[in-house]
Amino acid sequence: MKLTKTIAAAATAAVMGTGAFAQDIAVIAGSVEDAFMDKIKKGVDDATHMVEANGGSVQYLRTQNYENFGPDLVTLINQAVAQGVDGIAIPIWVPDAQIPALNAAREQGIVIMQYNSGLPVKDDISAINYFGSDEYAAGFGGGKYLAENGATHILCHIQVPGAINLTERCRGVTDGAAEAGAKVTVLETPPNLDGDVTGTAEALKAEFIGDQSIDAMVSCADFGAAAGANAVEQTGLDIMVSAFDFSPATLDRIKAGNQTMAIDQQPYLQGFLATSMLFAHLKFGTEISTDPVLTGPAIVDASNVDAVVAGAALGAR
Amino acid sequence: MSTQSQTAAKRSSPGALARRPETGALIGFVVVFAFFAALGGPVFMGAPGWSSWLNIAAEVGIIALPVGLLMISGEFDISVGSIVPASSMMTAMLAGHYDLPALAAICGGLAVGLAVGFVNGLLVTRTTIPSLIVTIGVMFAVMGLTLGFAVLIKGSTSVSYVPTPMAKALLGQFINNMFNVAILWWLGFAAVFFCVLHISPIGNWIFAIGGDRESARNAGIPTSRVTIGLFMASGFCAAFVGVVQVMTYQQAQVAGGQSFIFNSIMCVVIGGVLLTGGSGSILGILLGTMTFAVVNQGVFFAALDPNVGSIIVGALLLAAVLSNDTFRTLALSAAAKKT
Amino acid sequence: MISNLLRRPAAASVLSLTGVLAFYVIIGGVDLGKLMSAASWLNYAARIGIVALPVGLLMISGEIDISIGAMIPAGAMTTAIVSGHYELPMIFGILGALGVGVIVGTINGVLAVRTNVPTLIITLATLVGMQGVVLAGSKLLTGSASVPLTAPDWAKSIFGQLVFGGSHQVVIVWWIIFAVTFWFVLHQSRYGNWIFAMGGDKESARNAGIPVNRMTVLLFVLTATSASFVGMCHAILFNSAQVSGGMNDIFNIIASVVVGGVLLSGGFGSVPGIFVGALTFAIVNKGIDFTAIDRNWSNLIIGVMLLAAGAMNESFRRVALGVATGKRSKPKQDAPARAIGGQEAH
Repeated sequence: MKLTKTIAAAATAAVMGTGAFAQDIAVIAGSVEDAFMDKIKKGVDDATHMVEANGGSVQYLRTQNYENFGPDLVTLINQAVAQGVDGIAIPIWVPDAQIPALNAAREQGIVIMQYNSGLPVKDDISAINYFGSDEYAAGFGGGKYLAENGATHILCHIQVPGAINLTERCRGVTDGAAEAGAKVTVLETPPNLDGDVTGTAEALKAEFIGDQSIDAMVSCADFGAAAGANAVEQTGLDIMVSAFDFSPATLDRIKAGNQTMAIDQQPYLQGFLATSMLFAHLKFGTEISTDPVLTGPAIVDASNVDAVVAGAALGAR
Repeated sequence: MSTQSQTAAKRSSPGALARRPETGALIGFVVVFAFFAALGGPVFMGAPGWSSWLNIAAEVGIIALPVGLLMISGEFDISVGSIVPASSMMTAMLAGHYDLPALAAICGGLAVGLAVGFVNGLLVTRTTIPSLIVTIGVMFAVMGLTLGFAVLIKGSTSVSYVPTPMAKALLGQFINNMFNVAILWWLGFAAVFFCVLHISPIGNWIFAIGGDRESARNAGIPTSRVTIGLFMASGFCAAFVGVVQVMTYQQAQVAGGQSFIFNSIMCVVIGGVLLTGGSGSILGILLGTMTFAVVNQGVFFAALDPNVGSIIVGALLLAAVLSNDTFRTLALSAAAKKT
Repeated sequence: MISNLLRRPAAASVLSLTGVLAFYVIIGGVDLGKLMSAASWLNYAARIGIVALPVGLLMISGEIDISIGAMIPAGAMTTAIVSGHYELPMIFGILGALGVGVIVGTINGVLAVRTNVPTLIITLATLVGMQGVVLAGSKLLTGSASVPLTAPDWAKSIFGQLVFGGSHQVVIVWWIIFAVTFWFVLHQSRYGNWIFAMGGDKESARNAGIPVNRMTVLLFVLTATSASFVGMCHAILFNSAQVSGGMNDIFNIIASVVVGGVLLSGGFGSVPGIFVGALTFAIVNKGIDFTAIDRNWSNLIIGVMLLAAGAMNESFRRVALGVATGKRSKPKQDAPARAIGGQEAH
């Protein structure tokens, strides 16, 4: 049986893992429960083959969840330092907390590579390069896409109030939409609704009904698109649903026509490039003359969804 | 009717309406509903508003029912927060990844709940560890297993599944495009639990166990079997909600069930169940759940800061427990006077 | 002699710690030297340990406090709003954070002694209420859910500094100071006897002339204030505060107290046990990155460890009480049912 085999494999893998102690690089990422981070991990894993072929090793560190996020990230940075790594690849999500810790690490000779998030503070940590999207540009592209496709009033949904990168996304959406003549309303749902599809769907429904001029929505979270599609189904209104990032279910929705598009930042590339290029820099002294390197935004919609599905089946999209 | 007098007669002089466990819950519901109806206007009073809070009430309500029964019998179940994602992950994995038929996948998901509930019940009855600690421990373990196996098998913490029309119609459909079919399931579960608690002899057993476990055992009540059965019921209901979520949103994620832990307890408490065991009613739990849902959803229709909802829930909770407490003191002193 | 060891409430925590370390070394192939020199788990242990100490004392006295989950972010946000957003002197931010703790603790305590409501529910109400107050408050006052803070040097060096060569936080020192203080209170002063007596039987404690109500309120003030203290230290150390639900902290702290050998039903536990419990929990949670075991399984380990520790506590207590009094064949079921800090139905 396939299942029993997998369980047996689970037991062995759980115990054996991929232990190696001569770390050269640490890659720090977000919650183990976040599916987005799994795609980054796929990129890191693929890059790890190249690193190990050249005698290095990669330690992939993730937080358990997003509560207490700043301190958790600093903990992981300090942990990487304690393990004696030569380089750290890390997104900047909580600048106030992370910057001092990263600067302390750099003073010990550790090279910092930034990916995924925090482009505006890149110079504050003297990262050697940045692989990720520009949150503002991604939002701008998304807002413009929706407005050009007929949206006049866009709801931008933020699932974690106060998160700087999400605020930046909605600022981008606002400006992008304004360029094509549409207006944007920002909705911040309480943090206890983060990940709660039913609660978010009903909250969005209330907004849709409360302001019937809304004809498009973009959520900063993938689950927000599931909630949005559900709210649209419930209200029967003609509202374009879209979101930043996507999951396999998003692709199902785009295919079925229940979601207009997803703004992709290609996390696979972020993980793969940040890991391999950091190692190449340490080992071979390579430099990339393009700085920063933007991996997004790429729009996934009905026109290109089939190609994305193929990549998603392999865990890279 | 015999149902309320059972509860009432246990601790109070019979009859008095004010001493019924659900009276406070009813008052709370009416006040809260009137408040948000005034602020939310016709939209909140119309189908969109009703469907909004009923959809939320259905999910948490299905779990709150058995959690309430457990609390009447003097136990807690924290592990429901991990069973919801575990069962939706199991369902999506079996149907979406291993391509098993929908029915098998649904059974697999529900079996997760029954199994975890059985473990909870066994640990609570066979050891002297308090159920709060047992179910926190089981919660951590189930969270770890869900995450570990999801990543191991699928390489991702999110699994998608497009349900068959039949499964979708039964478990994930929106009636009239607005009312989640889960609402009907919720009422169905409520009817079943009503029979169990207020009509069948098991109900008396549950009240007796909550009142005094030792004397219940001495009176010949199979306390262990009832307790294990109740934990399996709460596991099953939590798993059911997990399955409904997969069918509704066509995806499963490893996180996201934690809010059910305290939300279900809050619904039960607002519904007038005494935390010290031995008292409560299904009607009260239903009212408590509806009150909770109206507050949580009403804030969006009333254009209040959504966070204000938490403050109102906290205040309601305090009001509910304080009034329960007053009722109980009243009831006890009345009973004491009579004897 | 073994029974002598097992009689000590810290036994379960020491065994848990040994078990976890053995598991990590044998199965996880951890390099103990590297693990011991790392700060990450020790910083985390201090964070939950400072709150776990008073929570443990509260549980020994037979009550529970889950509002701590909201009090950690509440302390951080208060500090950041007062001293960061309004730019008042740091001392006001610190006093504000501690003041919020004292207020919420007093509310919890007064409700606990004035009503018959189980403290799990009272503190659940204040938990939800404070989550809303903190969120709505910070939105109202600052317009944001994330507030930056620049602390002056003196505050940094007292509450938010890194010590011992750069990665250990000064809260570790605070944790040790707290632990010594609480050890003295619980095991050397008469207050300790009172707390144990309250956990054993509140009514007889009251009859014996112990100020049960005042002690209960005091313990609730301690739990809430220590939680807001931790939040304040983090805001100062990390230069900012974000709102968060804090749900995980609740379970993590209760778990580490139970692993530390405290009985939820009250009357049994020790400060060294709670200390080691927090240490053990932190090693499982943060030390797993030093092992070859995938971090995804850490919750499974915690769950199993918690159940094992819970079982050990129960049997050790029986051993302890059996040896101490020479009798006691306690019927299996009477303790747990009413364990949740509730008073018995009369």
